[in-house]
Amino acid sequence: MRRILASCIAMVTLAACAPGTTSGGGNEQVDDKTLTYLYFTDGPDEQATRNLIADYEKKSGVKVDLQIVPFDNLEQRLQARLSGGNAPDVARLTDISPFRSDLLDLNKFQKAALDGQFIDGAKAYITGAGGELLAVPSDLTMNGPLVNVDQFKKAGVSLPDVTKPWKWDEMVAAAQKVQKANKTQYAIAMDVSGHRFSTMLSQFGTTFFSADGTSVGLDTQKATAAVKLFADLNASGVLPADLWLQAGSKYKAANEIFLAQQTPVYISGNWQVSAFAKDATFTWAAAPNPCQETCGGFPGGKFMASFKQSKRQQAAADFIAYMNSKESQERLAKEANFLPTRKDLISSGIDYPQRDADMKVFLADVSRTPPQAFATSYSPAFAATAKATVDALGKVLAKSQSPEQAVETIKAAAEKALKDTK
Amino acid sequence: MSSTPSRRARAKPWNQRLAPYLFVLPNMLIFGLFVVYPAINNFNISLYDSRNGRDFTFVGGANYQELFGSEAFCSAARATVVFATCFVVLTTVLSVALALMLNQRIKGRAFFRTVFFLPVVLSPVVVGLIWGWIFDRGNGLLNTVLARIGLGQPGWLVDGGLATIVVIFVGLWMHIGFYILIILAGLQGIDPTYYEAARMDGATNWQQLRKITLPLLRPTTMVVVILSLIAGFQAFDYIWTLTGGGPIGATTLMVQYIYENAFQSPIRYGLAAAASVVLFVTVFALTLLNFLYGRRKEAT
Repeated sequence: MRRILASCIAMVTLAACAPGTTSGGGNEQVDDKTLTYLYFTDGPDEQATRNLIADYEKKSGVKVDLQIVPFDNLEQRLQARLSGGNAPDVARLTDISPFRSDLLDLNKFQKAALDGQFIDGAKAYITGAGGELLAVPSDLTMNGPLVNVDQFKKAGVSLPDVTKPWKWDEMVAAAQKVQKANKTQYAIAMDVSGHRFSTMLSQFGTTFFSADGTSVGLDTQKATAAVKLFADLNASGVLPADLWLQAGSKYKAANEIFLAQQTPVYISGNWQVSAFAKDATFTWAAAPNPCQETCGGFPGGKFMASFKQSKRQQAAADFIAYMNSKESQERLAKEANFLPTRKDLISSGIDYPQRDADMKVFLADVSRTPPQAFATSYSPAFAATAKATVDALGKVLAKSQSPEQAVETIKAAAEKALKDTK
Repeated sequence: MSSTPSRRARAKPWNQRLAPYLFVLPNMLIFGLFVVYPAINNFNISLYDSRNGRDFTFVGGANYQELFGSEAFCSAARATVVFATCFVVLTTVLSVALALMLNQRIKGRAFFRTVFFLPVVLSPVVVGLIWGWIFDRGNGLLNTVLARIGLGQPGWLVDGGLATIVVIFVGLWMHIGFYILIILAGLQGIDPTYYEAARMDGATNWQQLRKITLPLLRPTTMVVVILSLIAGFQAFDYIWTLTGGGPIGATTLMVQYIYENAFQSPIRYGLAAAASVVLFVTVFALTLLNFLYGRRKEAT
């Protein structure tokens, strides 16, 4: 009898805590002139965003509650809020994939202002199965090298012209010459990131996924060549192998090495521009990405989206349209040294009040970047594949895996990630 | 003939019989709410799969199957066993040895006790960062000193074997003060008359240690073994900041595996919950074994 009773209690308890139950969160609409905006900041964008919000509040009479959360915590927090029926009205995201089924179709509210206005590379990613506009690319990032101009000058090495980028071997040779002349620890540093290494892969003519994003597009031979070069550069001390090995499975930027003037070349991206403008005690500049089989860098970016759960859908869509209008994007880009995502702004170009020449280098690389790189970067399977890539490269650096094996591992991870997202 | 204790208890009025249960009720409620319920719920979640944390699909034992077929999990499990074994053995031996030393009337005893206990109150994140700077191969404090005296620059955090030693060392450094404190309390609970009698019988210090101190310290040592076992299997925070689980997963323990699957994209709550269940069962079984073994020893 006791056993039966115990079993019943256990079953009732288990049934009571079945996962996945949400507490309603119905979507009856209200017009209370307030909006919540879940946000993470890269630094310089925060004040620029606050300025834009202040203007929006004046114009619309809507009060925007900017809720800033740490980037590391964003996805988890948003999942929890969606589970609890407490979604924000608007969110800034780097990956919309985990939330696709929750996102609001912005075309229902602001089709004229938003549809077809943004870079084509992101179109497949932000479009739902039924043609819905699930998010808006709110800023674009572009990977690329930043160089210590003072050290290049001291070594008598000239920087490449924006229209005539280095080849990889030319960049390595130049960096080594500067390293020798300035006695720096390294010649080149690269962030510990699968996203950053994807730049190298793209330059060697291959990407994780095909141009339509439906299959694995990694060319074994080309990828192996990129991994081999990466391994050789680490083994010879051109790149700091310790940085990759000591990071474990964490993302780690090499900005401190560059700011400490221990490397003349730092492969990162345009989001460093504002920070370096403030923190660098030496002359530096952005250089065009090296070419190999192809040129250009590797894109990334952020998205703005609203949710079906939102009780202020119209206001949310209006706010997204305002924040991504030509004027707003231009202002944000100028104040935060961001790259625009609007086609009209990309074609007209932006004159940046600060570090204009560097931003133009990044912009030039946007147009040189092949469409496959956009498709890969915006693939829902990218994050998992990039993570596996960092692990595989770590094993190559520790000599527990050959470059060929690493490429096979990356390919298998890409296949699994694609399968998991379907 | 006197009545049995249970009969006597039954004879008490109901409010007196209820009183002890009322005293423990708040604790039981909190324990149930924050330990038992989450544990049951965690087991339940381990039977479901979800790629976004909300749309759960019942998959039965598939998460467990995936877990044991996963190289990453097996590697984390192996690393955890190595870490926990070394941690428990070294913690037990060192805490007993150091407590014996600090129990003597030595000069600066209070100072040494403070020195050993101080790391216990530090934040594990801070501990990880500090030792990370010390053990950095190129610019670390330790290697700077070693290089000056011509001993080279070992890759403490970039060589898998060395990194394992480093995380065990840092774990010991951080926790040993707490275990020393427990053993000291045990030592001070031993009746000094035993030693007096032994000395009168002409027992040497070594004999007193073997025949009085260590046997009477056994229950306290068992507490240290069990607590360090749990701490060893649950180690994560300072390792995460010190090595991030690297190099190439050498210091990725089970809790980090759980953390990465539960809180980093792509989020896999079901898989993380299954790994938590495996960890719980392992720690529970080992603790139970220890406990039973300890009781049998005491009985003999």
